Amino acid sequence: MTSYLLRRLVGMIVVIFLVLTIAFILVRLAPGDPAALMLGPDATPEEVVALRARLGLDQPIVAQYLSFLGNVLRGDLGQSLFFNLPVTDVLASRAEPTIFLALFSLIFALVIATPIGIYAAYRHGSAVDQTSISSAMLAASVPSFLTGLIFQRYLATDLGWFPASGYGGPDADFLDRMGYLILPSITLGITNSALILRFTRASMLDILGEDYVRTARAKGMSETRVILRHALKNAGIPIITVVGLTFALLVSGAVVTERVFNLPGLGNLVVNAVLRRDYPVIQGTLIVVATLYVLVNLLTDLLYLTVDKRVKY
Amino acid sequence: MAASSAAAPPGFSRILLSRPSTVVALAVFVVIAAACLFLPALGLVAPGGMSVRSRLTPPGPEYWMGADAFGRDVLARLLIAGRASLTIGLGVAVVSSVIGIAIGLVAGFFRQLDAPLSRLIDAMMAFPDILLALSLVAIFGGTMLNVILALSIVYAPRIGRIVRASTLVIRELPYVEAARALGTRTPTIMWTHVLRNIMSPILVQATFIFAYAMLAEAGLSFLGVGVDPSTPTWGIMVNEGRQFIDNAFFLILFPGLGIALSVLSLQLVGDGLRDALDPKLAKDT
Amino acid sequence: MSNKLNLLNLSTAAILAGSPLLAAGTIDVAIIGEPDTFDPMVSTKDVVSIVTQHFVETLYTFDESWSVVPLLAAAMPEIGEDGLTYTIPLREGVTFHDGSSMDSADVVASVERWLDVASRGMAIADRVESVEATGPSEVTVTLTEPYAPLLSLFAFSNSAAAIYPEEIVAPQIETVIGTGPYRLEAHEPDRYTQLVRFEDYTQPEGAAAREQIPDEIRFVPVPDTNTRVEGLLSGQFAFADSLPTEAFDRIEESDAAEPVLLEPFGWPIFAVNHKQGLLTDLDIRKAVQAALPYDDMLFAAFGDDRFFQTEGALYPEGWTWHTEAGTELYNINDQEEAAGYLEEADYDGTPLRILTSRQYEFHYQMAEVAQMALEMAGFTVEMAVVDWATLAQNRDNPELWDIYITHAPFLPEPALISTLFATSREGWDNPKKNEILDRFTSESDPEARLEIFAELQEIAYEDVGFIKVGNFNALQGQARGMTGVAPSPWPTFWNAEIAQ
Repeated sequence: MTSYLLRRLVGMIVVIFLVLTIAFILVRLAPGDPAALMLGPDATPEEVVALRARLGLDQPIVAQYLSFLGNVLRGDLGQSLFFNLPVTDVLASRAEPTIFLALFSLIFALVIATPIGIYAAYRHGSAVDQTSISSAMLAASVPSFLTGLIFQRYLATDLGWFPASGYGGPDADFLDRMGYLILPSITLGITNSALILRFTRASMLDILGEDYVRTARAKGMSETRVILRHALKNAGIPIITVVGLTFALLVSGAVVTERVFNLPGLGNLVVNAVLRRDYPVIQGTLIVVATLYVLVNLLTDLLYLTVDKRVKY
Repeated sequence: MAASSAAAPPGFSRILLSRPSTVVALAVFVVIAAACLFLPALGLVAPGGMSVRSRLTPPGPEYWMGADAFGRDVLARLLIAGRASLTIGLGVAVVSSVIGIAIGLVAGFFRQLDAPLSRLIDAMMAFPDILLALSLVAIFGGTMLNVILALSIVYAPRIGRIVRASTLVIRELPYVEAARALGTRTPTIMWTHVLRNIMSPILVQATFIFAYAMLAEAGLSFLGVGVDPSTPTWGIMVNEGRQFIDNAFFLILFPGLGIALSVLSLQLVGDGLRDALDPKLAKDT
Repeated sequence: MSNKLNLLNLSTAAILAGSPLLAAGTIDVAIIGEPDTFDPMVSTKDVVSIVTQHFVETLYTFDESWSVVPLLAAAMPEIGEDGLTYTIPLREGVTFHDGSSMDSADVVASVERWLDVASRGMAIADRVESVEATGPSEVTVTLTEPYAPLLSLFAFSNSAAAIYPEEIVAPQIETVIGTGPYRLEAHEPDRYTQLVRFEDYTQPEGAAAREQIPDEIRFVPVPDTNTRVEGLLSGQFAFADSLPTEAFDRIEESDAAEPVLLEPFGWPIFAVNHKQGLLTDLDIRKAVQAALPYDDMLFAAFGDDRFFQTEGALYPEGWTWHTEAGTELYNINDQEEAAGYLEEADYDGTPLRILTSRQYEFHYQMAEVAQMALEMAGFTVEMAVVDWATLAQNRDNPELWDIYITHAPFLPEPALISTLFATSREGWDNPKKNEILDRFTSESDPEARLEIFAELQEIAYEDVGFIKVGNFNALQGQARGMTGVAPSPWPTFWNAEIAQ
């Protein structure tokens, strides 16, 4: 157990190091001189040279790489070209909508998909099973921006049930801001519920095929009790797994959803950064999101370990 | 377990085709693909020029699926765009499989490279697909080739992971060990024994990647960093249609259906394939 | 919508959104993007102008008929006999947002910075001999040669000659301090820019009163066009800039909003590369001019003749600057004639490179139609559709394009049209045109200037200095019943009032 933990931790550090390396290389591959890009077309060659020196771009690439690593370890992700602020500050100010959007849509998806998934597995092959699995797949097949647009158009603008876009003004308190996340969370949740539904169903099918379930049935335990006891007992595992699995999906989905609903989150930030050629922000977002992903996965593995005694490492 | 499933049991196609949903899905996909591929190529549907005065004509006898903002025939454009969208999906499926197989085989076969390559796979998978593709396309430019390459880099690790896991199992099987003892060269073993045996799980995964890539392409077009619009894709068509959502909903409807139907049928085929191959596999991937 | 639904509407909105829409004193404005600076001197972007004109002011401004009127100046300047000295009296008792009061030292420092860093200031810097304080409330600008458009430049909010306190004037200004009727209260990038009423504001004497009706004005960047429409229609915004004309009918039918049509707003331009490449040859330029199907381009881009006019004059009918000179070369739409020009030029099939972006969908739509006609005339066309950042970067490199597509509002003074000048990125350096332009900028008699402008328009057509596609109307939207916002490319909200 301890040695497993140690191995996982070392592995994680190596992965994060690789993530940093990839992010460094990616941005270095961008065409054009970052210094010239930062200064704009009116810059004189002398200004460009001076800025290159200040940014350390005149150093050999290895030295640049080392100082990049050093900076990141000290929590310095560089300076945003567009905002003229430290990238960490920019990211921190955008984290709230993205975190809560991901959280709410995950909760929405779990609440919708887990019971349906369990029931579908229980009635394996029935019309209910077929319908739920095919509607889940259909939901996952429509581009999410289209779902978002249609929801926004009809549920927000025409019916007025939700705010159409944005994240509230200066006087919006926390609760107000969360109100702006409801419709985006449903949009994103629908796409993700498809994955969760299929996953829950598959896990349940497995459990229902296990010996102890058959034994329970053979002993004359009622079907409902079999399902409820074993389903509830084992529901923790698919949920944990799915949280890890859907994290990347949620972030990807958040990029599009935040755009549709004009939420000032990390996803919208990165799209704007791409359109503004703000490379330090692109790089910073990639680093933060990828590192979070690694941590979330470590966490789910550890939870797995404590929840499921059958898992041996 | 991989070997038993991978040896292509004789009933494979029978099991695959025994599920009506799979059959229907396969048929739908084949029809869509064939229409996009052959109808324009055979000249049965002409792309037609612009006739600006017929702008936004609704579907009718003249334009079966209506005319777009330039007065171009939506049906013809839909088929041409479909070819591009399917090319992107297929391209990503193929390129990411090739990269993934290479990484996975090497990691599975050469112990000393396993740890570093596996960590590399983990690191690549840590970047969410749209985010990485967005950055790559922004950096290298929005050509079709770049979109295919960017999405392939995103999806290759998934294949790599499966190939590595299967390779680790297969390389320990008695007949592979025997082949090695007989002095068969490693590349030959990789090719004849390993690769042939893991083709099926790769095929399943590649089918899903095909579908995801089509969705991701649409997402990129929506975000304004997709393929250059001189080669239309379904994603571009949907995105172009957005501003006409009230006046000409058909501009979104048909390409939207194109994406949804293709992605849905691909996923159903993937499911069918997976179940036909090995129900156990469904759990692992 | 039924009353019942409306009720539901309000209650949900109140729960969900904290009912900001009912806070009467606040005007929420959806703009097309985040202003990249609050220093309007260094930017020519319209979003920067729209936002900053509420908190920084210039010596002069335009009234509703586009005449120059005093803003921070106390009166129109006294212009010397030779047209070289401008003595500008300043208003007294004007307070900056930091509490200091404006005097001639602030104005001198600001105008000197404008000549240094603003693109429009730099363009005339070599004609300005000195900017001096000739009294605590008087500034004298001395020119080396007469320059009639000077006051228009001082009045323009775009690359503006803004007046800052002397203390903050530096090549880079971190926090902008102005004298405007509103001051900057808070700024959350990509979320909002919050302006609140400046209590110590003193009203201008020449320009219309800034009533300061709203307590607060909030500018919300909403880059996606559809999202702006939905936000306006759902009542989130009191005003939304730059909407797609396709949304006109829907906005008109809505209970929450009404369309505002700027008619005509401006002109789409095919900017021509005179520095190098294919279009340095006059015959090839003429071929492009003759081949383009202006009607179809406008129709494809704007969809309905409510939203465009096929007109070649650089200023629409009804404007002082309107003239038909040279416009017989507009809208020829004859690809055979174009082919003739190509033959004369011995055109060898070198691709004509058109650079455009989908930031503005109508740019791309016009380019698509143009491409078809140009190909019919015998051109090989290479279209590069890139995002706006790339376009803004690439158009500064004359090696990369022959035509790029842009648009401009009708500007109050033709000398503000930058593409007329040889120093612009297009580099239109025709000696005859330069001579006309020099006469135009140094002539001060309005009647004579109109005649010279006709010559200028004529040579713009004969030499194909640039290509005007037509006039287009811009669509904005505002809350139903809102008053006090005059239609403008750069709308102002200090007099905005929403009927309760």
